[in-house]
Amino acid sequence: MSVLTQTRQDALNLFEKIGLPTGRDEDWKYTDASRLKDLLQPTPTDANIHIKDMGVTGLDAYRMVFINGLFAEAESNLPEGVSILSLAELEKNSTGEDAEGIAKLFTVDTKAPLMNGFNAWNAAKASDGAVIILADNAILTKPLYILHISNQSNVVRHSFMIGKHAEAQIIEHFISTDDSKALSNTCSFVALKAEARVEHTRIQQEGDKQSHVARVQVKQCKKSSYQFHGVELGASLSRTDLVVNLHGEGASCDLNGLFVLSGRQHADHHTRIDHKAPHCTSRELYRTVLDGRSHGVFNGKVIVHEGAIKTDSNMSNGNILLSKNAEIDTKPELEIYNDDVKCAHGATIGQLDDKQLFYLRSRGISAEAAQELLTFAFADEVLVAMSNQTVRSYVEKAAFAKLPHSDDLEEMLGS
Amino acid sequence: MLEVKDLHVSVDGKKILKGLNLTINAGEVHAIMGPNGAGKSTLSNVIAGRDGYEITSGSITYKGDDLLEMSPEERAWAGVFLAFQYPVEIPGVNNTYLLKAGVNAKRKHQGLEELDAFDFMQTVKEKAKLVELDPSFLSRSVNEGFSGGEKKRNEIFQMAVLDPALALLDETDSGLDIDALRIVAGGVNKLRGKDKAIVMITHYQRLLDYIEPDFVHVLADGVIQKTGDKSLAVELEKHGYDWVKENK
Repeated sequence: MSVLTQTRQDALNLFEKIGLPTGRDEDWKYTDASRLKDLLQPTPTDANIHIKDMGVTGLDAYRMVFINGLFAEAESNLPEGVSILSLAELEKNSTGEDAEGIAKLFTVDTKAPLMNGFNAWNAAKASDGAVIILADNAILTKPLYILHISNQSNVVRHSFMIGKHAEAQIIEHFISTDDSKALSNTCSFVALKAEARVEHTRIQQEGDKQSHVARVQVKQCKKSSYQFHGVELGASLSRTDLVVNLHGEGASCDLNGLFVLSGRQHADHHTRIDHKAPHCTSRELYRTVLDGRSHGVFNGKVIVHEGAIKTDSNMSNGNILLSKNAEIDTKPELEIYNDDVKCAHGATIGQLDDKQLFYLRSRGISAEAAQELLTFAFADEVLVAMSNQTVRSYVEKAAFAKLPHSDDLEEMLGS
Repeated sequence: MLEVKDLHVSVDGKKILKGLNLTINAGEVHAIMGPNGAGKSTLSNVIAGRDGYEITSGSITYKGDDLLEMSPEERAWAGVFLAFQYPVEIPGVNNTYLLKAGVNAKRKHQGLEELDAFDFMQTVKEKAKLVELDPSFLSRSVNEGFSGGEKKRNEIFQMAVLDPALALLDETDSGLDIDALRIVAGGVNKLRGKDKAIVMITHYQRLLDYIEPDFVHVLADGVIQKTGDKSLAVELEKHGYDWVKENK
């Protein structure tokens, strides 16, 4: 058996041993994974999907398209001189010297925080993925836009390896072509060498009956900088585990999350930041706007390890419930194992600010439009940090479309 | 234009205004002065339509309509404007968008066409000059990160763009240094007109050196204690508010 086959078999064995998380797991208390059991098996077919005009249009970017978990080369546009590869292609050619390296892409780190059965399944069953190897000092001149289109269960596995002083902007977008019942299981591993910079966006906009389980695992070396934007708009159930390891001195991460949910949608982000080295900075801003009978879950855990002196960590989670049937479960957690740190965290669940409402109305904005405007502004603030304006305005429009809005407000923001 | 009759207002069961009468005609500038807690801000907030004030009796008529029956936005459409004492910061809401929406909502209400984007921007730039507001403030979120003085200047800028018939300036002078005061007052003076009225609420006579009022009222203990011309403000400055109560 080749080392690769063995690695994937190990992952499958692990999955069989640990199974899917249950409600007895503290980290899965609010998200019912059992209903996804029958959707695990990927069906990597291209299913006659016509992808013209799908996704973010007018974006000046390199492009990788995955259809039901398979790389669609003909629809993609990759830069020259940069290693951006298909995981499936790599796997086919995995002989000789590269074998061990390629096998490593499928290794499950059982000790990693928030590791679960979906992650083991991903390593065992991934049909494809993007493998980016950015050399030291290389700069990806345009963003890499990775569009995932699905109407079947799919398993993709990305690895982004960013060299010293290298820079990349990566945008993952998940959409569906119809409202089939299916599960997307994705993992993205991001490794930043010293002083590397990455801006990583994930926009989850899958169909109403789709489910989405993701893991984003980041390891940061000295003085590297990682920025994350996670936007949850679609799917009936979605869960993301975002795990950041601040491993090298002076590294910094900035995590932004936005959920705009309605109907019976359920979205859950568990984030975990490990401050393992001195002088690292972490910032986290999560906001949810929940309507209908939707349910949001935010769990943000920061651990400042022994020796991680001069840690600077700030986490904030704000939530607005637009309906009395909407629900948010939020839990910011902070564990500190040394004295010399600056840490703050907090969560709010609230209504809109009366003073702001009155101010807007006194300027002639109707009560209804003022409420909608403040709700939109609350959500939009999370997106301010997004550097790509085309992507930002796409997300704004999509979020806006999901929020209750009158003609007044549409006119107001439309022009 | 505005007729306040025997107005009684309570906040959380505490009587603040106790039978206040005030008549304001078009073309006039009024100053309302008085000690802290006299009810000055209560009066301006009640006129603008803020929640949380219990009107136990009395009436306010604006251009023949019952003002108290109107929502805050209806009052704005009808030409009432309040320059806030403490303008609130609204992150994520663009200053110019807010004004454009306000202007167009008012025009719609008046049965007028919406302003096109170009005309609107011309007006905005012109009015920004009036109060020497840095154009970079136009694209920022409403009041976010503005200094105290910048917030006040932004209020007067908004007033200039919205072009109200009745403007209430609630302690617009507080927090302004002398140069800023001169600029803001200059802006207000340019907005005076024969079909407009301005009500300034202030502690200090200083503002009245720049914006000359036709009437000065002293508000204390929830009623207008005394009304006079500009010289009343000078007397007040000299003798204090107790003098007014003793010399009614």
